Amino acid sequence: MLLDAVRREALPDAATAPRQAGDPEPARSAAESARGIAVTARDLHKSFDGHPVIAGLNLFLPAGGFTAVVGRSGCGKSTLLRLILGLETPTGGRIELQGPGGNPRRSEPPRRIMFQEPRLLPWARVVDNVAVGLSGQGTRAGRRERALAALAEVGLTEKAGQWPATLSGGQRQRVALARALVSRPGLLALDEPLGALDALTRIDMQDLIERIWRVQGFTALLVTHDVAEAVALADRILVVESGRIALDLRVEVPRPRRRGDPDLARLEGRILDHLLGAPQAA
Amino acid sequence: MPVLTRARLRDTALPWLLPAAILLGWQAAVSAGLVSNRFMPAPLDVVRAGWEAGRTGELWTNLGVSTLRALAGFVVGGGIGFGLGLANGLSRLSETLTDTSVQMVRNVPHLSLIPLVILWFGIGEEAKLFLVALGVFFPIYANTLHGIRAVDPGLVEMGRVYGMSRTELFTRVVLPGALPSIFVGLRYALGIMWLTLIVAETISASSGLGYMAMQAREFMLVDVVVLAILIYAALGKLADALTRKLERVCLAWNPAYRSA
Repeated sequence: MLLDAVRREALPDAATAPRQAGDPEPARSAAESARGIAVTARDLHKSFDGHPVIAGLNLFLPAGGFTAVVGRSGCGKSTLLRLILGLETPTGGRIELQGPGGNPRRSEPPRRIMFQEPRLLPWARVVDNVAVGLSGQGTRAGRRERALAALAEVGLTEKAGQWPATLSGGQRQRVALARALVSRPGLLALDEPLGALDALTRIDMQDLIERIWRVQGFTALLVTHDVAEAVALADRILVVESGRIALDLRVEVPRPRRRGDPDLARLEGRILDHLLGAPQAA
Repeated sequence: MPVLTRARLRDTALPWLLPAAILLGWQAAVSAGLVSNRFMPAPLDVVRAGWEAGRTGELWTNLGVSTLRALAGFVVGGGIGFGLGLANGLSRLSETLTDTSVQMVRNVPHLSLIPLVILWFGIGEEAKLFLVALGVFFPIYANTLHGIRAVDPGLVEMGRVYGMSRTELFTRVVLPGALPSIFVGLRYALGIMWLTLIVAETISASSGLGYMAMQAREFMLVDVVVLAILIYAALGKLADALTRKLERVCLAWNPAYRSA
């Protein structure tokens, strides 16, 4: 019910407007879609102790797109995400980020990540945890106000004054999502953020992430081992294998997508066939 | 409701049942002449001795002197321990430089230094301050260091990615994360603080609670000796209760410390 409230408030026209069939990009106003950061990776290499994890990867993520990266564990998908966020430095090659308006500055708008675990500060109230996303910006009161607004977006207004320890796993991940979104990022990286949640909560969270993405227009990069999740959320799916992109697929199914849609199922089957059938080193 | 209050009453009263029974039995045994009051004074005699010492002001002077010594030693030793614990927790270089030396000194029982300390400082205030500071230093140092080590690296990474400055990272992530462990060190240190002070005052002092007990022994005033021991127990309990209170306020976020 909370999520329904979000849907009504947060999506004035973009989501409710009927979309033409075959239009791969969701309808979005120009001002909103101008927020995303475009990412280009050229001949990217990364090795740990001499073991190559990313080996000559080329990639372009258009601004405002929703891309999912899937692959077996150890294929380098998490490393790719950490490289794009600047959490790791590449051994070779380069990553270029392009902000809205062709601005190549790295700081504006920010890049944010949602980790597999919520990583909330247990000693800070929920609202203060969300305000962490605004570190170094504006006044304390201003941060708090924006944090409350972000909490409202994920439907957790009434939990603002609580300790994280009192929340359920799904609620904690929603707080982490609010923290990631409060600074209006240009790029949101999602590192298997829903892996630890139960199936129903995961579907709720997927819907929530999709809705907010459509309103805010950031570039979304989802790393997941759940092919169904990738197919449900992304408009493009990259299969990574031995540090390279092995498969690059567009998902041309209009949104909102219905779970169990035969097109999605066919696509999921194709990716799974590829993952299971491909020769694997380990 | 009445069930709840009765349960609460029981929970508050029950821990005191055993001490009260022992006191009553003790008083009865001495009054009946089963135990000579030259070995063990009756509880009422101890109360009387306490009243007398309080009336002459002797008790308060000695209590004040001891408390001041304990706190001064605690502040100096605890301050240095906390500072060095932080430094070594945050800086590899500082740790490589000092930790081995600290670990070596730690294995010397600090009370074994009493003869040396008397040679250095005589029986003045410096001797007590030095011993208490040394005793308090190690638990605070070790637990501060351990607390900082144990901070979840995932949270530190999160703080970095979300643009926290170094100061913010320290005050908002590292220090609160280390706090539960620092409190463990604090409680250990308080116990060691009283222990060290009492030993030091008993061996060499011209004022303080330990001195009061030793004087009383010279004059065979068993009731004053027992009084001093009971005051130690009360002070220890008081320090522990204050720390618990502080923990409950500072660690309210942690379900393990939240009051029911």
